[in-house]
Amino acid sequence: MRFLPKPAEKNLFFLLVSLGTALSVWAQDSLRVDSMILSNRSGLENIMQGSVAGLRIKSWSGTPGAQSTLNLRGLSLDPTDHNTMPLILINGVPVIASPSTVTGINPLSYFTPEQVERIEIIKDIDRLAAFGVQAPNGAINLIMKEGESGSIHVRANAFAGMNFLQNMDYRKDAFYDFNSRARREAYGNGGFVSEQNLLVDGAGTYGSYLFGLSNHQDQGVIKNSGYGSQSLFLNAKYNITDRFSAHFYNNMALSNRRGRYAGEYDRDFPLPVIADETFFMDKNRNVGLVSSMGLAYQFGSGFKLSSVAGLSYEGASRDVYVPSNVLNGNIFASSVAYKRQLITVNTTLNYLRSFSDALQLDMTLGNEIRSTDDRLTSVNGERSMESGGSNFVKVVTGYNANQTIALSDHEREKLVSFYGIWKWKYKKDLDVNMVLRADGSSLYENKWALYPAIGVHYDLKNKLKIPVKVNASIGKTGVLSRPEVYRGALEAYGEYYGGNYLGVGELYPAFDGAKSIGVVQFDAGLSVAILPSLHLSVNYFSKSYRDFTYQRFLPNISGIDFTHETGGTVKLSGVELSLDAQWIRTNRFTWTSNINLASYRNKVKSLPGDIENTSLAYLGALSEGKAVTSLLAYQGKQPKVIGNSEPSAFGGLTNTLRYGNVSATFVLTYAWGADIVAESFSSRYYADRVGNEFPLKHAETPYYLIEKENGRTLYQGIRTVEDGSFLRLSRAALSWHLNSLSKVLSQLSDVQVFVRGDNLLTLSRYSGINPEENITGSRRYDLRYTGTPLPSSVALGIKVVF
Amino acid sequence: MMQKMNNMKIWKFIPLAAIVVFFSCSKKALTIQPENKTVPEGYYNSSQRIQQAVIGGYVDLRRALFANYAWLMYGEVRAGDMNVTVPYLSAVANQELTSGNDNVAQLSDWGYFYDVIKDANDVLDIIANADEEVLDSYRRNLFKGEALALKSTAYFYLARIWGTIPSAEKNNMGKHLSNEEAVSMAAQFATEAQALLPWLLINDDGIESAALTAVRFNRTAITSLLAQEELWLGNGQNAYDLLSSTFTAATVDSLSGFGLSSGADRRTSIPQNPLSGSAVRMPLDKLDVIYPEGDARRDRMFSISTDNNIATLKVRDASVVELLPTREILLLFAEAAWKSGQLEEAKEFLIEGASGATEDYSTLTEATFGDALLLERQRLLAGTGQRFFDLIRFKKVSAFISSFTEADVDKGAAWWPLSANSLRGNSWSQNSFWANP
Repeated sequence: MRFLPKPAEKNLFFLLVSLGTALSVWAQDSLRVDSMILSNRSGLENIMQGSVAGLRIKSWSGTPGAQSTLNLRGLSLDPTDHNTMPLILINGVPVIASPSTVTGINPLSYFTPEQVERIEIIKDIDRLAAFGVQAPNGAINLIMKEGESGSIHVRANAFAGMNFLQNMDYRKDAFYDFNSRARREAYGNGGFVSEQNLLVDGAGTYGSYLFGLSNHQDQGVIKNSGYGSQSLFLNAKYNITDRFSAHFYNNMALSNRRGRYAGEYDRDFPLPVIADETFFMDKNRNVGLVSSMGLAYQFGSGFKLSSVAGLSYEGASRDVYVPSNVLNGNIFASSVAYKRQLITVNTTLNYLRSFSDALQLDMTLGNEIRSTDDRLTSVNGERSMESGGSNFVKVVTGYNANQTIALSDHEREKLVSFYGIWKWKYKKDLDVNMVLRADGSSLYENKWALYPAIGVHYDLKNKLKIPVKVNASIGKTGVLSRPEVYRGALEAYGEYYGGNYLGVGELYPAFDGAKSIGVVQFDAGLSVAILPSLHLSVNYFSKSYRDFTYQRFLPNISGIDFTHETGGTVKLSGVELSLDAQWIRTNRFTWTSNINLASYRNKVKSLPGDIENTSLAYLGALSEGKAVTSLLAYQGKQPKVIGNSEPSAFGGLTNTLRYGNVSATFVLTYAWGADIVAESFSSRYYADRVGNEFPLKHAETPYYLIEKENGRTLYQGIRTVEDGSFLRLSRAALSWHLNSLSKVLSQLSDVQVFVRGDNLLTLSRYSGINPEENITGSRRYDLRYTGTPLPSSVALGIKVVF
Repeated sequence: MMQKMNNMKIWKFIPLAAIVVFFSCSKKALTIQPENKTVPEGYYNSSQRIQQAVIGGYVDLRRALFANYAWLMYGEVRAGDMNVTVPYLSAVANQELTSGNDNVAQLSDWGYFYDVIKDANDVLDIIANADEEVLDSYRRNLFKGEALALKSTAYFYLARIWGTIPSAEKNNMGKHLSNEEAVSMAAQFATEAQALLPWLLINDDGIESAALTAVRFNRTAITSLLAQEELWLGNGQNAYDLLSSTFTAATVDSLSGFGLSSGADRRTSIPQNPLSGSAVRMPLDKLDVIYPEGDARRDRMFSISTDNNIATLKVRDASVVELLPTREILLLFAEAAWKSGQLEEAKEFLIEGASGATEDYSTLTEATFGDALLLERQRLLAGTGQRFFDLIRFKKVSAFISSFTEADVDKGAAWWPLSANSLRGNSWSQNSFWANP
């Protein structure tokens, strides 16, 4: 008896057996998107939250269109650094994935989850080494859906819902408690969220095609702001001959985000409240294009030659106008455009050879060219109302160079790589992966670096008759330095002789010894099928990062402030645990679960000598063995570790239950052990005003931070060190397949309606709204590095397949 | 047929892939010339760009001397002659130089002067490596002479402000130099520059320009500077020989003063009109002591407001702050002649240089000449920042600065203390007076 139309049945099948699929890929998680619970928020990263052991997706900001932070076994000395983000690939082609600093719009929101077939998570070094310096912190490969067999299928789905703030309590919340009226004016329930997708696909002997369009709108909870994105996409394969095929992928997206002043930028809500933002303007526009073209030729003798050219482009522009009522009588206008492009050409020769029935080799030799080109252009100006400014004319026409600042900058970078991958397979038991990659970078004087890796995977099932797989791998990769490090810089000192001449001089010299941070990684794993329906995998990894580039401050007789050096070693290690279970499977009722947990430790192995005279001075109080992510403050005159911004453990729990035509899924995410330093709003003193002694305040901690402001030393008090542990109901969905409808309309193969909620409940002792809202682990007095309130949302949707 | 077609396609495909691989592996393909980027390597490939580096030295010297009104703070303000309307005035005027005030701490930091020395040494390296077609001999000599003059100026200021200082030369970086060693080195650089610098500079249109000459080092200025350095070292005869061989009847029309041009500094907020009357002023009673009624130069140099009881310097050209004015030349002649045992000639120079004074200088003796010369230097060089240095050179610090005894001066009270930033990393310590003021 068919209880579901065929395609739906297939979906459900995926839903139920995705566990088995995931385990079939060695040491690499693979998520089948159709079987996952999607998110009402834009951004592909949000659908992965809580699904993979070790993949941490932090929902730090409630601003629609902002990217949640992604971390996959990544560590950096600077917690605000995007370098810890994993490499994002689309069909194996690298794309620009980190948000630009200009608009902050998330490039992962250019793609609707509906066009993604599966998501591959690559963590182990014997796979990562093939990406070289592009992927020191893991890689996420998004495999896009291709057309399915048949002349044409049409899939449409849509949802619509509301955002609301459920736990913003001014009596409880630490930050928003001093002007609750203004807060209520800026943040509010009822922001609309909706999405519509349409996909058309088909496949035949000619190949396959899939094209579609998507529209996503989200007003968030900050009034008079919002985000929207539209995309068109195409994924097509064409068999030119039976051996020669071409593959095209294209996704073009337009995104826009509108910001507001009070609530988004000014979070202090000073009095009087700025109620009228009529003339305030913050318009962000992004154009995102990802395009790739691949050609593949299959020889008769086991060789396959393929070449893929990829192009990833993002044009981000922001126009800001701040009227005089906000800016104390002055008006400010700014226009910034940032264009980033990434071009890759990856050519590989693949060879499959069976030496005997037992031994097989899968060899790939490749060449990859990667070229990035980023251009920034900005103009901004400020003038007073007295000088002829007007709130009605949103433009600043500078009379002279003192009123308008124009900037144009251009950054290019080339990477050329050669790599070889040798995958040996002995019987069904043993796999040995060997990788050797050479990366040549335009950034360095000494261009080439070599990255080898080897991994062994052994299945004990045949020999020892126990359902256990073990694996171990070791290898090296690297993190590219930033361009300014190797290049040196001149500085324009000032004008002379009536402004006729510009005086320049060396700011710091070029660093001939610039090189990538070296990362040595070791992985070991164990996977056990405890029962046919209960799988446990445990993975251990250890990464050692060495040779960070930092500034060495010079004595002031040197005439320059600093030079660069490399040094320091830090270590990141951890255990990841994942349990996949199918507890019940009957015709009427099924229940499957995934629970995953990761526990990481990072620590300092060595730091540069005389660290106080380097740009790493902020780590000076850390002795060997202390966590790099330690939260440091002063107590009395002594620096002290007062917490750790990273949790002891984190993970997710996914449960899927189906009864008849109704299925329910929910995802819990959790983390515990992270500390949050909450700075005091009122204990902030100029050191010279308080006799260079930090004055302890009642009901606050004895800890304080030392900052510089206008050349003066400032003491910032810390109100509390809070526990950032939390348990969150991240996503939950209830769906109902309307079988009776598809029986009536024969062309209709599936209809389902669903209700879905995001961020429905958070249990935490943290005094703020969202325990994940602080990027650095510290909630600063001015909320820099703290996100806007994270909303909850509930949406009602429908999915139709013809 | 299909097989044949396949082969044709692949033969097209393989060379394409081979070309890509071949092209990508060369070192040239991995080299990028940055666009729109001011990079040190290869940037200085034209005389205009090298001139930017020279101007960088002037801009750094301007920051060293103008930030926080430093040239006056080191000179007339510390000596109690002039007031500047800034909150840290009293700290400097009262010799409270370790008070913890940020502006005073910056004034106690020698880093800005060492920035000038670094600039000058960089320019000398750039010139040494510049091809002949990039720099003609005029510009080569001019830029080299300016770099040496800037370096000499910076060392001379350092030695006069802090007494003993570290060297920032490549061959002895960080070496402790005594005051005499430091000034001797400065004099060496000035001697070298003196042979290279022209009397008048040529502007971008190829015309001799008095305005340009007034804000860049020239033959007159470097000779004055070198004479000051020789006199500081006690080499009166050297100074006299230098002055009399350089300033002759034939060169009198080519003389030019030297000052720093005003302009915007992109790093620090320095006063745009450093000698603006609203900021820099002298109490009228102080002026009356220096310039008694009847002195013809009193009204020529100062605007006097009896209502407000203040006198402000008359600024002829607001775009320049004079550091080495031509009116000092006769006083330098006078001092050099006096120090080389020619008192009568010295008096003649002083009388000529101090034309308009009410005093009768023809009756001066060996014992009284020094005081008269010091007074005339105070009068004529007001606003050039030299007053306190003169007190040191004439050994009159304790006589004019009431808060210092002779013993204090012996312990180093006349020098400035060093900021924490200057002590750090330089293996240097505070002198015995400022260690326990």
